Parts: sequence; structure tokens; C-alpha cells
Amino acid sequence: MKDIEIRSERFQWIVILALLLASLPLILGYTLLILSSFSKEMVTNLDLTSFHFTLENWLYLLQGKLAITGGIRVDIWRIVFNTLLVALGVALVVTLVSTMAGYSLSRIDFKGRKHMMILLLILHAFPGVALIVGVYLLYLLTVPQGQGLDVLRLYSFFYVILARAALEIPMSVWLMKGFFDTVPWEFEWSGIIDGASRIEVWWKIMLPLVKPGILAVALFAFLAGWQDIIYVRTFLIDQTLATFIEANIEAEYSHMPLIAAAGTLYLLPTIVFFIVAQEILLQSYSGGIKG
Amino acid sequence: MNRMGREKIKDLSFFLFPMILMILFFYIIPLVMTVYTSFTPLRNWNVERYLFEFVGLYNYERLLYMFQHDPTFKAVILTTVVFLGITLVINVLGGLVLALATFFINERIASGFRLLWLLPRMSPIAVYSLVWYYFFHGSEIGTLNSILMKLGVISQPIPWGQIIPWGAWSILIFVNGLVGVSFGMIVFTSALNQIPRELIIAARVDGASTWDISRKILIPLMRWHILYVLTWQFLSLLTTFHHIFLLVQWNLINRDYGTTLALYVFNTAFGRGEQDQGLAAAAAVILSIVGIIGGYLTLKLLKFEKMMKKPRGDF
Repeated sequence: MKDIEIRSERFQWIVILALLLASLPLILGYTLLILSSFSKEMVTNLDLTSFHFTLENWLYLLQGKLAITGGIRVDIWRIVFNTLLVALGVALVVTLVSTMAGYSLSRIDFKGRKHMMILLLILHAFPGVALIVGVYLLYLLTVPQGQGLDVLRLYSFFYVILARAALEIPMSVWLMKGFFDTVPWEFEWSGIIDGASRIEVWWKIMLPLVKPGILAVALFAFLAGWQDIIYVRTFLIDQTLATFIEANIEAEYSHMPLIAAAGTLYLLPTIVFFIVAQEILLQSYSGGIKG
Repeated sequence: MNRMGREKIKDLSFFLFPMILMILFFYIIPLVMTVYTSFTPLRNWNVERYLFEFVGLYNYERLLYMFQHDPTFKAVILTTVVFLGITLVINVLGGLVLALATFFINERIASGFRLLWLLPRMSPIAVYSLVWYYFFHGSEIGTLNSILMKLGVISQPIPWGQIIPWGAWSILIFVNGLVGVSFGMIVFTSALNQIPRELIIAARVDGASTWDISRKILIPLMRWHILYVLTWQFLSLLTTFHHIFLLVQWNLINRDYGTTLALYVFNTAFGRGEQDQGLAAAAAVILSIVGIIGGYLTLKLLKFEKMMKKPRGDF
């Protein structure tokens, strides 16, 4: 609230201080994790006596040397690539489906449109995670039989991307519909008068006009795919950073600061998006809600 | 007109086809399959052997029996109820407090705080779990233990998540609460920004305090939004288990009092050891029924239908 500064400075500082205090566990938790990735031992203590600076964790992690002693190695770049592949796949599917469906719900009137929108809202309110038993059964029944491992791995990527994307679709369609709603109808009208079809108008006129919306939806979907653990560990044969962390925290040989480095590496894209796209994140989050 | 109608159907099927396919394959068919599975004795994903055997309501009877006699399952139900109730209140109130607090301070600092509070929702779930794993760790390496020991509040490290029931519940509620408040915060912030400034200025001129303005003007104007967050969060808390899954898996939280019904469904179907998909499916069906009824009531309550205007640009 900038335009009505009638409150005292002191009041503001008290509120800020209270907010800071409430945010302390959050700040502390993340900071200690990142700090630990640069330390010989885990830094979970406030006095920082266990902090001894080193880049070893990062070097070992990026070389895939899991244990300081012994020869356990993983292909960490492959794991990062897998995580990225899932996230990009989810972003692509969600963006495509929601720009198409969002446009038609925003612009075309048809029988059942209202019911479809209510169905989407119910699906959005009721996360599909409860159906995971059925989703897995479908996976078992559709998985290609008698094929090599490579086909299976490929299919598991394909399936996890679609299944995870499906969870994001109800909200993303609503978000996209909201963005299309803000575009004045006259823009398309001129195109249609010139004899272009609806599909051409959508592709050539509308999509460039809702670029910020597309970016927001894609960003959200990317982060959703990137952060996921449940779907990835259920369906995907290959490891991602999430399942890598899950497996290694329980392993005897694990060097914990190295896992902290893996966690920090995993957090990095999220932080980058936060800094680059904060406006989009804060605005579109509420945009999808107003309906 | 007829040509126009056919054109419209062609366009519609093009635009809606991918979405309908996704909803069919990942919502409708799995829902039918989950209901079907709940009538079979499917276990350990042994599809060939069990999928076509029919046991009627056996799985539901087992759930009912467990509800009455199995202490583990009773703990799960109790945990679900307590978790839902308290987290819901914390999410709505926390979101309201955060939105109001950031509303009354400098905009730059405010958006900094809002971003910080979005971090739990946005960060990779494994990293988020890792953060709290160390924060609440039961030995002296746990951050909370080390702080309290330094302050002299406790002399021995306390395994917080293993104190049942409230230790486990507190962590459960804390970890999910932090994720949940950001939703309320964002919704309320956008609601606050739509309230005409004149109302607030007029009240200020009349000498109203910030507390009065919040209580008598801002909160009543956000009634719809509060109801929206309340019902929406209820539904999402009902089925969420991502953020607690690893904490239970890593033994930070007691298994019985750290498991909500949604996590119970997942662990019964996919967990270590004996898996029982028939039972898991039955529990999932009950969860789904509560969710679908809740979702429908929510829409009625919020009068969403009135907000659906006819589209512009139809011809």
C-alpha cells in the first residue's frame, strides 16, 4: 500500500520485525542446508562451529562420486537430465493442452460448456492424487509387453509426464481461460472477417497476445514437474534428483553434506525462477483463482 | 447456420480434444479402476492372479473392522481429523495475517516476504523435506534441539517426531501449514488490492486504527475469499501427503501418528513389504467420495456458477 502513507514509520517496523520473526524457521532451514553444502560437516547448529569451508562436496557431487571412500559412483548429470526431462515434458503438455482448451472455453459457446467448467473446478479442488492406485493400474495394463528395458524406460518417462501433467491441467486451463478473457474480442474479429479460420486466429493472433499467460502457465507446470517426488518414484524407472535424495539419505555410506549439495543443486532452478519471474509468480497465482 | 454449426463442432473438437483425452485417461478411467480394484483382493500388484477375482464389499468391511479394532488404523483416522482441523485453521488465519501484515508495509519489502513464504510451495519436495529433517532431527544435530539446548531449555536432545501423539502431529501440522499459508496469503492479498483505497483513507481520516480497519472493513469485505480458501484448503489437505511422505519414510515422524488417510492409501498400495491394493483402493474411494461431495458443496456455497459468464466472441 503505497499511496496512503498516514501510518507511522514505527508501526511499519514493528510489523516487519514480527514478520521476520515468523519467517525465521524458514530462513534458517534453507540457509543451513545451503551452508552445509559448502562445509566438511553438516551445519545444523547455530553457532557455526561445525562449518569448515570446502568445495569438495560440490566437486564430488558433480563427478558423481557418492562416498568419499569406496567406489560408489552415479551419473549425476544423467539424473539432472532426467529431472529436467520430466519438468520440460510436463510444462510442454500442460501449456499445449491449456492454451487450446482455455481458448475455446473463453471464446466459444457450446452446450455443456458450463458443465465442463464446473467439472474442471471440481477436479482442481479435488487433487487426482487420490486416484493414484487407478493411475498405476492403467500403467501396468498399458505398459508394452515383451519389450526390452529401454522401451520400458522410455514408456515410463512418457507416462510419468502425462500423469503428472494431468494434475496441473484443471488449474492451468482456468488460468489460460482467464488470460484469454482479458484480450478484447475485436482483435480476433478482424482476423475472422478476413476469412481466417478459428484455428488460424488462435495460432496467429491470440497466442502472441497472451504470451505472459503462456509463460506463467509454463513456468508453474515446469516447477510442478521439477518438484515432484510421488509420481516420479511411483512410475519412473530412472532416477531423478528427488529419488536420488530419497535413496541416499537412508544409505549407510552417504556423506550428508554431499546430499545437502545435491539438495542445493536441486533447489537452484526454483531460486532462479523466483528471482527472474517474481512478478509473474505473484500475479498469476491469484489470476488463476478469480475464475 | 448448418455450415456454421458443423464448423463450430470441428473447431471445438480440435481445441478440446487434448484436454478431454487427459481427463479421460488420468481422472475418469483411474476413478473407475480404483472403484473396481476396491472390489478385488489385488495385492502386491499381482494383476494376473487377483484382478479378476471378486470379493464384494470385503475390503470395506475390513476398513470398518480396522476402524473399530485396529489401534494403528484408529491412529491414522485420529491423525487425519486432528491434522485437517488444525492445519485448516492455521492456513486460513496464517494466510490472513500474512496478507494483512504485508498489506500495511512498504511494497518492496512486502513482496520480498510474500516470495519467501511461497518458497515452501515451490521448492522441490525432497529439498523441503530435507530442510525439516535436519531442523527437527531427534539427536543433537537437529537445529531445534541445538537451539533449545544452548538456551538451556532442555538438557537432552528430544526426538520430537517420536513423541506421540502431539510431537508427531505438531511437525505434521507445521510442515504442511507452511506450505498451505501461501495459498491464503496470495488469495487475500489479491482481494485486498481490489478494495477501493477511499474506504481505508476515509477510515484513517476518521481516526480508525489499523486493527479497527482490518477488523471492521477489510475482513468483512473478504468474506467470500475466506470461505473460498477454507473450503479449497480443506479439499487439498484431505488428499495431500507429498510433504510428509519422506519425513515418515525417514523415520523423523512416528509412523502411526504421522500418517494421514491419504498417506495411508499410498503406503498401503506402494509401500515397503506387503502391499494391499484392494484395501488401499477402498480407502481411496472413501476419500474420493468425501472429496467429490465436498467439492460440489464448495461450488454451491461459493456460487461459482453465477461467475460463469457467457463467452464473448461467439458467433
